[in-house]
Amino acid sequence: MTAVALPATRTRGRRFRWNVGVLAAPVAVWLLFFFVAPFVVILWYSFGDKPSLYITHDNSVLSLGRYVEAFNPTFVTVFLRTLQISVVGTILCLVIAFPMAYWMAVKLPARFQGIAVALVLVPYWTNFLVRTIGWQIVLSPTSFLADASRALGLGTPQLLYTTGAVQLGVVYNYLPLMILPLYVTLERLDPRLLEASRDLGANAFESFRRVTLPIVLPGVAAGLLLVFVPLMGDYITPSVLGGAAGSMVGQQVASQFNVAQNWALGSAMAIVLMVAIIAVVVLFALLFRLVKAIIDRFEHVAIVEGEA
Amino acid sequence: MTETALAAPPADLVADGADGGGRVLLEGVSKLYGKNWAVKSLDLEIAAGEFISLLGPSGCGKTTTLRMIGGFELPDEGEVTIGGTAMGSTPPYRRPVNTVFQSYALFPHMSVAKNVAYGLRYAKVPKSEVPERVTEALGMVRMKHLASRMPAQLSGGQQQRIALARALVNRPAVLLLDEPMSALDRKLREEMQIELKLLQQQLGTTFVFVTHDQEEAMTMSDRIAVMNGGRIEQIGSPADVYDRPASAYVAGFIGQQNFFEGTVSSVAPLTVAVPDGAIASSRPSTAAAGAAATVAVRPESVSIAEGEASEGEANAVTATLMSVSRLGSYLQVVTITPGGQKVMARIPWGVTIPTAIGTRVVCRWPADAPMVYPA
Repeated sequence: MTAVALPATRTRGRRFRWNVGVLAAPVAVWLLFFFVAPFVVILWYSFGDKPSLYITHDNSVLSLGRYVEAFNPTFVTVFLRTLQISVVGTILCLVIAFPMAYWMAVKLPARFQGIAVALVLVPYWTNFLVRTIGWQIVLSPTSFLADASRALGLGTPQLLYTTGAVQLGVVYNYLPLMILPLYVTLERLDPRLLEASRDLGANAFESFRRVTLPIVLPGVAAGLLLVFVPLMGDYITPSVLGGAAGSMVGQQVASQFNVAQNWALGSAMAIVLMVAIIAVVVLFALLFRLVKAIIDRFEHVAIVEGEA
Repeated sequence: MTETALAAPPADLVADGADGGGRVLLEGVSKLYGKNWAVKSLDLEIAAGEFISLLGPSGCGKTTTLRMIGGFELPDEGEVTIGGTAMGSTPPYRRPVNTVFQSYALFPHMSVAKNVAYGLRYAKVPKSEVPERVTEALGMVRMKHLASRMPAQLSGGQQQRIALARALVNRPAVLLLDEPMSALDRKLREEMQIELKLLQQQLGTTFVFVTHDQEEAMTMSDRIAVMNGGRIEQIGSPADVYDRPASAYVAGFIGQQNFFEGTVSSVAPLTVAVPDGAIASSRPSTAAAGAAATVAVRPESVSIAEGEASEGEANAVTATLMSVSRLGSYLQVVTITPGGQKVMARIPWGVTIPTAIGTRVVCRWPADAPMVYPA
């Protein structure tokens, strides 16, 4: 109930409550104008074409032509590279973040945990572009890394403008988004549950597998989503670190809008990207459920009916 | 609560505890936390099939002692032996003990049945026998109907029963219970105390029960070890520690006491001079003549009558009635002497006593009541 509740609106049951609905209206309007409407516009543009050099889009003739056009060899190559960087990057984030979050939440004394969280957050709050340019300096042929390589007689390494540089950059940029949800779930994990597990005969590995892991799984899923979804659409990191060899699909979309002025093709590419992200997430969710169902079946305990 | 009594355990669930596997021996066991000895040179022998309580206030070392038996803490000195095998640094999962934790520590992501079945895999129980064993254990705590529930859907009392079933399903030689009833309301706790004691007798498992609640310890235990400052102050049957406390500390911790501070004026017969008169005791004591002593008199030994103590009468003090309150089957009477000494009495319901506040009364007790300890 809110302060503005009127007698007429105080109804029981599941009837729509206008007073509460009104409170949600700003969010609904915001979503409608800045999420639903742009999406519909992009979807609409993707069925049009670019009629001439000086016009960005035209929807007088509707077709799937831009989708056919989008699947050109360059786009497919870049798209597959994007998928690879995203999947590998997400997995690397998980592999690095899990021990880190576990250490922060379980091993570190409580009074240092706030500092550890701050150390994760401060770089994250630093401007995304600035952080990425920082890596450009480190990976450049004039950096201390290159100096060290030359001093060892290994020559000047090509670090910058490679897929590897982008891979490194995205893991660095998205790592906090994996650490934080994992930290939160691990921090809430009651250490007494692990004691109970050991008491019941499970060793450290079994306790981790049957108690820790299932309990932190929602945190893992949240981390995977938080990293994978924005990573697929990232275009700052590859722009700064990737060059031509390490470009990602976000740049392709951006260049259709900004450089080629072909909004129709850019829209089609954006839709393809979005569908691909949703497909991967859905596929992963299904796989996740399948594995869980198999484990549940394996661990199922039937109760013998009858007199106790 | 819908569940009432615990059912009789099936014969094959009776643990190995009864035949000696449940014997626990602690020899010179010490545990250091920082610079403080949580437990210091503790010797304790627990017979197989015994129900023993470790009783004491928080910080007395009782939980640390339990955790050293369970293997969650390793002693800095001394040895823990279970069923004739020295435990050394054996981890908890290789010890023939199971624990019911204070917070129950049920796995929140598993159903009741899966919680109970958890340990059976490591006890090498064939998969085909698991459902039967789980059903048995749940039947024993009358929780079979909740087998498919999740722990979050259960009340505190139900969770406690599941924790008990989860520990007992493995048929441990020794069951450790770490204040398992502290979160239950009083009525439920009293019911569970009786059920737990019956279950222990039927199973023959050694129960080591940690509690700070002396009534709980008195109700269930074969023996009580009263702990203080990392040591055992006294160990004995509930009647022993209640009737013959070994120290003023034990006397004060178990049940209520009236304490008097005084000086021993004679050893035979034992007489202690206190500000409000003299206390004579027919009980043995180690107090020396001329030394300061603490005298403890149980409120139930004290009788109340209108009037004053006669001149030179021992074991009688004149006091003013401060309050009379009915507590169950007895009256709790509080009086105060002119010297400021509080004297409590516990009078059975039905005995007539003056009840008007401010009445001058005489508090008397028999000579076999006062317990005299060197101060």
